[in-house]
Amino acid sequence: MDFSLRSRDYVEYIKRAYELIHSRGDYITELDSATGDGDHWTNLNMGFESLVQQAERLEEMELSEQFREIGRIMMSVIGGSSGILYGSAYIAASKTLEGKEKIGEETLYEVLLSMRDAIISRGQAKEGDKTMIDSLAPAVKKYKECLDRQEDAELLCEKVKKAAEEGAENTKKMEAVRGRASYQADRGLGHLDPGAVTMSYQLVTLMDFAAEKSREK
Amino acid sequence: MKKIMNKPTEVVGDALMGLQMAYPDALSYIPKLEVICRKEKKIDKVALISGGGAGHEPLHAGYVGKGMLDAAVSGNVFSSPSPDRIGTALREVSCGKGVLMVIKNYSGDIMNFGMAADLAKLDGIETSQVIVKDDAAVPDREEGTGRRGIAGTVFVHKIAGARAEQGASLEEVRASAEKAVRNIRTMGVAMTPCILPAVGKPGFQIAEDEIEIGMGIHGEQGVESSKIKTAKEIAEILLDKIMADYDYSGAEAAVLINGLGGTPLMELYILNMEVQKLLKEREIKAYRTLVGNYCTSIDMTGASITLMKLDEELKALLDAPCDTPAWKI
Repeated sequence: MDFSLRSRDYVEYIKRAYELIHSRGDYITELDSATGDGDHWTNLNMGFESLVQQAERLEEMELSEQFREIGRIMMSVIGGSSGILYGSAYIAASKTLEGKEKIGEETLYEVLLSMRDAIISRGQAKEGDKTMIDSLAPAVKKYKECLDRQEDAELLCEKVKKAAEEGAENTKKMEAVRGRASYQADRGLGHLDPGAVTMSYQLVTLMDFAAEKSREK
Repeated sequence: MKKIMNKPTEVVGDALMGLQMAYPDALSYIPKLEVICRKEKKIDKVALISGGGAGHEPLHAGYVGKGMLDAAVSGNVFSSPSPDRIGTALREVSCGKGVLMVIKNYSGDIMNFGMAADLAKLDGIETSQVIVKDDAAVPDREEGTGRRGIAGTVFVHKIAGARAEQGASLEEVRASAEKAVRNIRTMGVAMTPCILPAVGKPGFQIAEDEIEIGMGIHGEQGVESSKIKTAKEIAEILLDKIMADYDYSGAEAAVLINGLGGTPLMELYILNMEVQKLLKEREIKAYRTLVGNYCTSIDMTGASITLMKLDEELKALLDAPCDTPAWKI
C-alpha cells in the first residue's frame, strides 16, 4: 500500500530523526574528530532541536511552506557546510511540493531527488567524494528502481533504507575531496564520513516512518 | 574542561557582546546574527567584511575598525556563519560602492558567503570576494578545496582595509587584497589540542612528547608528527616549509608570530628571536613584526609563522593607520 505523509506527519518524522541523532552524539563526534573538527553533531543536533521546538508552528503550515521554513531554520541554526547544504536541499524540495497536501510514494521520490540535486549543485561535490551525498544518492537511485518495478511500498522503504545505510558505510573506502578530511594525508581513508552517517540516520528514520504509515492504511 | 562561560551554546554571542562592551564607542553588536560592525557606518568608501567560524579570536571581530574591516560575522565555533547572518553584515555596511568579502578557504565559508552574495545582489548590493589560502602545510591543488586560510588572513584584512580607506574602487581593493594573498604563506605547529566548548574534551590527541607540524587552526591533521623540538629547530622547520613553497629570499617581509591561544607570550617571543635570526641569515628583511595571539584555535597551544613579501604598495598599505581592538597603528 502507498503511504501518505501530511504536514503533521513530516513534523513527527522530524521529531523521530531528532531522537535518533540526539542519542548518537558521542559516536558522531568521535567519527568527526577522526577526520574533521568534531562539531558536526553539535551543530546538526542544535538544528533539529530548533525544529522540534518550533514543531507546533511547523505542523500548521502547508507542506511547501513547511519545507521552506525547515530549510531556513536549518541554514541559520546549523550553520557551516551542513546548514547551507540541508537548507538548500529543503528549499529545493519545497518547490516540488507546491500545491500538494500530502507526500505519497511518487512525491517522496521527487523530494529526495530534488534534495540530492540541490546538495550536489551547492556543494560542487559528486558521488564518491566521501560526503552526505554518498548516503543520499544511492538511496535515491534505489528508490527509482523500486518505483520502476512497482515494488510494494513497505518493501520499497526497506530497500531505500538499506541503500542509505550501505552508502554511508561505503564512505569508509573513500578519500575525501572536499571539507576538512581532505587535508589529511590519507584523506580520511578507513574512516566513516560523519555527514554521510547522519544523512543515513535521517533517511532510515524517514523510510521506517513511511513504512509504518503504509501499514496503517 | 574548565572554561569561563555560562552555557556552551552561548559562547559566541557572549564573547562578541563582551568585545563590544570593551569598545562601546567604536563597535556595535547585532545579537543572534553575531555581527560586529563599526559604529560609524556606511562611510563613503568600499566596505570590507570578513567572518567565519568562532574560536579564532581576535579574528575576525577584533579587526573591525578604521583601516581594517567594516563588519565581521561569526558562525558557531569552528563553523561557517549562515547566509542570513552574512547578508545582515552586507546590508549594514553597504553604501553603494560595493563590498569586498575576505573569505578563508574552507568549503563551508565559500558556500555560505557565495549564497549570501547571490541574495545580496537581488537587493542591489555589489560584492566581490578574495579567498585567503596561506597554509603552506597543504598542497594548493586544483581539485577539491585546496589550501586552507589561516593567520595570514590578518594581513589581508590590513591591506584591503587600508586600500579601501584610500578611496579605491571595489576592483582596486580586491586586486590589492589578491596581491597580499599571493605573497603570504603561513606554517604552524601544535603542541596540545583544543577543546570545543560544546564538545568538552579534545577531539584528538598529541602525544606528551610530540608536536604536530602543519596542524590546521581547527585541529586538522598536520603534515607530520615529530618529537618535541627546541625553539630554534621549530623555527627552522616552519621557515623551511614556507620558503620551499614561495621565494622570499632577498625580500622585505611582514612577519607574524602568532599564538594559537594557549601558548604564553614568552614562548612566542622566544620563537620570534629564532625566526628573526634565521631571516637575517637568509637575507630576508623583517620590515614589520607582530607577535601575539592574532588568529587562535581556542585553547590550542602552539604557534604559526606568517610571512608576507612586500613591495612599495604593500609596505605603504601595511604602514597606514588602523584602529581596531586587536591591531592599532
